[in-house]
Amino acid sequence: MKKALALLLALVMVLSLVACGDSATGTTEPKGDAPVVENPDGGEENPAVEEGKVFNIYAWNEEFKGFFEKYYTVPEGVTVNWIITPNDGGAYRNKLDEALLNQENVPADEKIDMFLLEVDHNIVQYANSEFTQDIQALGVTDFSNTYPYTVQAASDASGVVKGVSFQCCPAALIYRRSIAKDVLGTDDPAEVQALLDSWEKFNAVAADAKAKGYYMTASDAATYRVFSDNVTAPWVDEAGNLQFDAQIDAWKAQAKEFSDKGYTINTGIWDEPCTAQMFADGKTMCYFGPAWYFNFSMGNAQDPEKGCYGDWAITMGPQAHFWGGTWLMASASSDNPTMLADIMDTFINDEEVCTNLVANEAQFSNNQAVNAKFAADPEYGNDFLGGQNDVAVFVELAKNIKFENKTIYDQIINEQLQSNWREYCQGNVTEEEAMANFYKAINENYPEVVTP
Amino acid sequence: MSRQNSRLSRRKSISYAKWGYLFIAPFFIIYAIFTLYPQLLTIYNSFFENYRSGLRQVGPTYVGFENYVKLFTPDKTGSIDILKYTWNTIVLWVGGAIPQITIALLLAIFFTSYRLNIRGQQFFKTVIYMPNLIMASAFSMLFFTLFSTVGPVNDLLLNAGVIPEPYDFFAEKISVRGLIMLMNFLLWFGNTTILLMAGIMGIDQTLFDAAQIDGASSVQVFFRVTLPLLMPILIYTIITAMIGGLQMFDVPQILTNGGGTPNRTSMTLIMYLNNYLKTSKNYGMAGAISVIIFIITGILSLFVYRSLTRKED
Repeated sequence: MKKALALLLALVMVLSLVACGDSATGTTEPKGDAPVVENPDGGEENPAVEEGKVFNIYAWNEEFKGFFEKYYTVPEGVTVNWIITPNDGGAYRNKLDEALLNQENVPADEKIDMFLLEVDHNIVQYANSEFTQDIQALGVTDFSNTYPYTVQAASDASGVVKGVSFQCCPAALIYRRSIAKDVLGTDDPAEVQALLDSWEKFNAVAADAKAKGYYMTASDAATYRVFSDNVTAPWVDEAGNLQFDAQIDAWKAQAKEFSDKGYTINTGIWDEPCTAQMFADGKTMCYFGPAWYFNFSMGNAQDPEKGCYGDWAITMGPQAHFWGGTWLMASASSDNPTMLADIMDTFINDEEVCTNLVANEAQFSNNQAVNAKFAADPEYGNDFLGGQNDVAVFVELAKNIKFENKTIYDQIINEQLQSNWREYCQGNVTEEEAMANFYKAINENYPEVVTP
Repeated sequence: MSRQNSRLSRRKSISYAKWGYLFIAPFFIIYAIFTLYPQLLTIYNSFFENYRSGLRQVGPTYVGFENYVKLFTPDKTGSIDILKYTWNTIVLWVGGAIPQITIALLLAIFFTSYRLNIRGQQFFKTVIYMPNLIMASAFSMLFFTLFSTVGPVNDLLLNAGVIPEPYDFFAEKISVRGLIMLMNFLLWFGNTTILLMAGIMGIDQTLFDAAQIDGASSVQVFFRVTLPLLMPILIYTIITAMIGGLQMFDVPQILTNGGGTPNRTSMTLIMYLNNYLKTSKNYGMAGAISVIIFIITGILSLFVYRSLTRKED
């Protein structure tokens, strides 16, 4: 009996050790995604000078990965490891935050070297944290050609720059030329702009479009970013109270009006009913977005068979705004500082790369000199936009960008307001219920935010 | 004789007890580490304010029963969320479980019947079990695509002239709940069939023969012989299905993109729990919800067990 007890106790100890070991490795987040990398050098010689063999990049989609693989030459012997998690519902940020908070416990090759952020992720929070590092110290010092807001956005409170953006994101009204001709009688950007330069005109034209069997927008949230970028106060004030800007109220009213009158479709901007409208047989006149929207998110319009390549054009629309943009942040735990700095420098200062981004990828680069060159070039035209010089339009629009009123809550609040308000627009719930559900969602995600 | 007996029994008790404890030890150890300890930890956590806001950690601070009070505080529209989600969960489970158990019972009887002697049984058994092998998340994505306003189901109905314009399946309470019930039914009826078949095959065949000789109809055989003898397995099936049902998560979560739309009428208890965990890592509130789910599961299991075993008497 004693022996059995001893054995049992021993078993308990072994098992609990195994269990502890499990939970310890279980928390090393990126492990599951990281491919096993052979390290022939073993990293024994000169560990102080030798840089890491694995470069880990956290991202939420394949956009930057595509440019990176095309235009950046990875130093020999280094493997680039992409850890991609979808953005929706805050999934990417949850994964990133988990990983950042756990950097101390993972081996060098699993540490994050660079992570991507967008405006809604609240870049300032990360720039102000200990998880990012000064890129000027790493050798990225020339910001003379970048748009100032992109540097300001990635700087901490004392002005130390922690990352760069490879794009500048003034957003425009993207309209379908053939539908504009039918509804407005013209597809010329300047004339279309004159007919749609205020919300009153925009709403009136929506009625005309409806009368001819078209949708003005393909989602009740299509115009959301135009309004939300023009707010005069952040979503949450200093005391932690949720507040509604007049611009947000204006969007809510418009979304309801458009839904009731059938000017739009009750669906999210990333959902299939909205993107399906981009095909040639779609009936929607207007989309809103920056360069990355039409070159990355309008794949259906570019479809060789069902798309309508060339049947689009851009103009400022009712209100100037900017939307999104991807920032490359320097992780404090990087073991590849030289490569990290080199990547950042390449995507803002390498003229050839920036030129390729504009010419081949229809990007609006974060290099003012390159953009100016294209804007002034009479030969340049974007085929997708029917030969329109989009860079020239964006150069003008970029002057309006003001980077302000951002909070760490923006992503979830924007997503939740759109989806809960949609239920009201569809008539499934009353206004009070829709707002109550919106507040509930905020309280679940952010207990510290005080809702009305 | 007596000396031999006593020696035998003594040896028996010593050796068997020793090996017996040894063999059941792994279960208890694993249970203690992976179930009991986390359970106690959950209860402990539910008394703390403990969450994360972005990169900032708040708490843990002891708050007593505050989390529970918050859970049972009615909102502005007067409804208490956790009760609403409990009701949703039960409706979604019952709606899926009734057809699931009825169909499974029928199929199990058909497959085990010597008189019907269905050919190609192996094939059918495999086919009905198939949906269970698909991940629930993949299955939900499939349904999401199928029933979208621009999906094939709407296309079919439009072309057949059944509906004049696309019907948004995800905008109405009835259709969303119906789809969730249908999916859970499809996912699980094969599994239940196999379990019930095992139960029926465990019944002594001579009892069926005797009943037939006595002139019992197949309906009588079912209600007087099969069902009473199948009760233990049936109760087991229903209780495990119910516990699974109360923990329903993947299907409604993915079908409604986490929103439990419309108006949170397809939000289940575990989805509610997940809302507190995914961004804010709110272990306090999530712990409180877990404790409530635990209590609800306990009460319902007892209730189901009692009501079904009483019938047997």
